[in-house]
Amino acid sequence: MSRSQLTEPIKYDDGPQMSDERKADASAADSTPVNRGEHKPPAMLHGRLLSVSRMATIGEMAAGVAHELNQPLTAIANYAQACDRLLARPGTDPSEVREALHQITAQTTRAADIIYRLRALARSQQSARSPASINALVTELRDLMQTDASLHGVQLSLELASQLPEVMVDPGQIQHVVLNFVRNSLEALAAKPSASPRISIRTSATAAHEVELAVSDNGPGLPAEALGRLFDPFFSTKENGTGLGLAISNTIARAHGGSVGYRPNAGAGACFYLLVPAHRPD
Amino acid sequence: MQTQAPTVFVVDDDEGVRNSLRFLLKSVGLATRTLASASEFLESYQPSQTGCLVLDVRMPGMSGLELQQQLNLRGAIIPVIFITGHGDIPMAVEAMQQGAFDFLQKPFRDQDLIDRIQRALEHDGRNRAALAQHARIRERLDTLTPREREVLTLMTCGKPNKSMAAELGVSQRTVEIHRARVMEKTGAASLAQLVRMVMDVEREPGAA
Repeated sequence: MSRSQLTEPIKYDDGPQMSDERKADASAADSTPVNRGEHKPPAMLHGRLLSVSRMATIGEMAAGVAHELNQPLTAIANYAQACDRLLARPGTDPSEVREALHQITAQTTRAADIIYRLRALARSQQSARSPASINALVTELRDLMQTDASLHGVQLSLELASQLPEVMVDPGQIQHVVLNFVRNSLEALAAKPSASPRISIRTSATAAHEVELAVSDNGPGLPAEALGRLFDPFFSTKENGTGLGLAISNTIARAHGGSVGYRPNAGAGACFYLLVPAHRPD
Repeated sequence: MQTQAPTVFVVDDDEGVRNSLRFLLKSVGLATRTLASASEFLESYQPSQTGCLVLDVRMPGMSGLELQQQLNLRGAIIPVIFITGHGDIPMAVEAMQQGAFDFLQKPFRDQDLIDRIQRALEHDGRNRAALAQHARIRERLDTLTPREREVLTLMTCGKPNKSMAAELGVSQRTVEIHRARVMEKTGAASLAQLVRMVMDVEREPGAA
């Protein structure tokens, strides 16, 4: 079977920069409305937005974590500065300084615990695993992603392989990863505007019995020095990035026995992919 | 009334932060009392206690801003230094508009906090001295007879004895006697000092 037979692109935004191959696909799918959002009552789209909004709460979560971490850091700074003062004073009782040092240790343990709980957060949400189609999960997000892309003037296309094995996943978590990839691409494209910004989402089956979901864009791509740390918590190439998006995506992928990765896009831009083992029903 | 040393009250729901502040402030010799909630502070607060309040903006239950409002409603003059987190600048602005003495973002340099506390304590000391002075002046003014009070008003307007006598329908000699009684009872050494005393009691001390 050739790749073109396997791949059935679903088109819902026909920009002027389509390849000839895509044009043919688009004309075949002419009966589908160009803007699917128009066909749904706004309330439904809103409901969909709400249902996925918990994924947008990653920013809020980061703010909460920042606040929580700030507390032990403040306490540590206070104790350390008090020690400094005590040691500068003649006749200070060493046990006083020792008490502050013990408190500093206790507060660092507390800070470490906050980070541990943060990393455990993604792991802990393993409750709702069920056999699912990655294509269906992506399709569910289409309106949301399309709205987001349109707002940024970005053309979004989906190329979903037609015969994909199912995967055993928590749907919300996998959608979280997809949205995170797409948002990263949108931000990368917004940071360096180009004439025809594009994002494409492709699904495919790999030879290793995995399902791959890849999000690629034609943005600036990533600097080589960032590549080694992309999935580290709190590492970000964005000025206001939390550094948690890809870290959490990574945790989610691993919890599913899969992985996330990065490869430069053919030509230009970035491509992030998620690999999840195919589900084998016994 | 003010028998105790000025006390720094620290209200923060976070035990770690609270204890570290107590440790830090004690290390520089400041009398410190820590409380875990705004309501706990309100319950134990004595308006006569000199000092200042170091207050976390964000707390469960009554927030720092709400405590400030409560204190304002009660006419409390204790200076409040707010401690805020990173995203809390709008809250800090609101606190300042409501008459907060100052605010700090955490984590902060210890010297910054200590400097602000020192300034707040000095401010509180000045306020309370002014209040005590007001009370003394008011006590003295209360001893004036209605006629002496009239004379006082005319004096502070800068009227000469002659026009005061005409206005009150008494002799200049009588005005002179009233005038002498006013100076005696208020303890003012000069007309200028008398005017300042009257102006002082009309202006209440309070916010910074």
